[in-house]
Amino acid sequence: MREGLGADPPGLLPRLRAGDPRAFEELVIAYQHRVFGVALRMLGNRAEAEEIAQEVFLRAHRAIADFRGEARLGTWLYAIASRLCLNRLASPDRRLARGDDALMDVPASTPDAAAAAERAELDAALRAAIAELPDDRRLVLVLRDVEGLSYEQIAEALALDPGTVRSRLHRARMQLKEKLERFA
Amino acid sequence: MTCTETRDLFSALADDALTPGERAALDAHLAGCAECRRELAGLLRTVKLVRAMDPVHAPAGFVDRVLAAAQPAPSHRRLVRRLMRPWPTLPLGAAALLLIGGLAVLLFRGSPEQQRAAHDQLEAARAPSSERNVAAPQSVEAPPAAVTAAPRSDTDLSKNYSEPPKSESMRAKTAAPTTKTDAPSPRARAERAQATVPNASRDSVSSAREQEAQQRLTPPAAMERRDAKRELADRGQEALAPAVGGRSAAAPSAAERQPPPVGAATPAPAMATAKAQAMPQSAPLSRTGPMTGIPAAPPDVTARLRVAHVSGAERALIELAARVGGRQTGRRIDGGRLVVELAVPRDTYAEFVREAAALGAVSIESQATDRPMLAVAVTVSN
Repeated sequence: MREGLGADPPGLLPRLRAGDPRAFEELVIAYQHRVFGVALRMLGNRAEAEEIAQEVFLRAHRAIADFRGEARLGTWLYAIASRLCLNRLASPDRRLARGDDALMDVPASTPDAAAAAERAELDAALRAAIAELPDDRRLVLVLRDVEGLSYEQIAEALALDPGTVRSRLHRARMQLKEKLERFA
Repeated sequence: MTCTETRDLFSALADDALTPGERAALDAHLAGCAECRRELAGLLRTVKLVRAMDPVHAPAGFVDRVLAAAQPAPSHRRLVRRLMRPWPTLPLGAAALLLIGGLAVLLFRGSPEQQRAAHDQLEAARAPSSERNVAAPQSVEAPPAAVTAAPRSDTDLSKNYSEPPKSESMRAKTAAPTTKTDAPSPRARAERAQATVPNASRDSVSSAREQEAQQRLTPPAAMERRDAKRELADRGQEALAPAVGGRSAAAPSAAERQPPPVGAATPAPAMATAKAQAMPQSAPLSRTGPMTGIPAAPPDVTARLRVAHVSGAERALIELAARVGGRQTGRRIDGGRLVVELAVPRDTYAEFVREAAALGAVSIESQATDRPMLAVAVTVSN
């Protein structure tokens, strides 16, 4: 899991609002992995994830003047990324196969070949199980257990009640547990 | 507390998000229920597995591509790039200009002036030798002047073509690849930490990717991509209203919805058309161009699409190809008509045809579906 979402880099927001191109560059550098991570875990395809991640920053670039600063920049970017991913997933035109390289993470290396194979199998099963979750549950799970956001930050990013976040997360985790029971 | 009520608290327990009352009730139940303890252990193990997944990293060059897309090049550079687009590399561009120069020589030689000069030369040959030495060089020197003019303009074009946009602050400051390195920047520092590629080769890789990104994202391709993306996002807009901080993060402004200014987005097709019409009608502009991903063989499928608006249909066709997992491979003018060249996966070809029929009247002229990726040439006309 990624470290929790900390405070915005100091002074970044005013510089962004002033149109400082270096500030935008710093924003992209600071949040590129988080934004791309959410897109990849949601879409399961690197090319599509990059396209969406790029769009997230372009929209932020265009809309920065309207950003009121009530939320953190990071939460705002997660909000845009989440919305674009869900929109893409809901699109009837979406034909790209999911999960073709969502399983790209290399399993932890181990000298024991049998243990390595078992670990790889578990990793594959885990990622497949995540990919099979309903989109809204997968999003909450990714934001919490992969990206390290708090319940409150997720609720803010997705415009949900914290209770809804908690129940969706619960269902997502229970569903995963059932799918992975054979590895217990 | 029942087993079901207890298990509903497991997830929150994993996040240490239970109220003291909930925690006490949970503990009380677990103390007497072995089945719930097993369930809890399973859930906590699952959460641990998910959290142990390696964080994903954005691909190398991502920052460059975002910055390039966010800050399009000044209009005159975009124009130069469009002019140079048919020639993917400088040597090809130079060769083409030399060819034009050569043609100019041939035309000049065949011109009445040249014929007159040749006639004069003939007359001079009959005349005393002192006059012959003056007449001959005049007719020989003129053509090389036309040839040397071409490389000079080529140099100017190539300079602009490869020169990075001024607004991209972290770009290399020179047009030609050199070993000169930029001052350290946040991006450079961050990317250096992720990769161990030497600076010089990273610069060239970055430059190549930048060009690729520019080709991908420079209008009209960029406008088409962005329009498609906006349209896609807008479709889901009602279901998912902007959530945080900004009131219009995902909602394009009224200005953005307007078609791009004529001077900004339309010259490329217009100029390509003019250029193509000036050249022999069958000359392919694109299948040998930078976007070509398939061999320059006859297309697997040739089709005609009759529509009310050719340019809109062209855009729609390209978007459609992308939606079905394909891409545009080129465009050319044939017999005064626009031919859009696409690569379409065989698996989604039927869907492509079905959706293309929604754009206008489609007629398939030839069709072979042996290859997994089909080269499709669609002639679009009114």
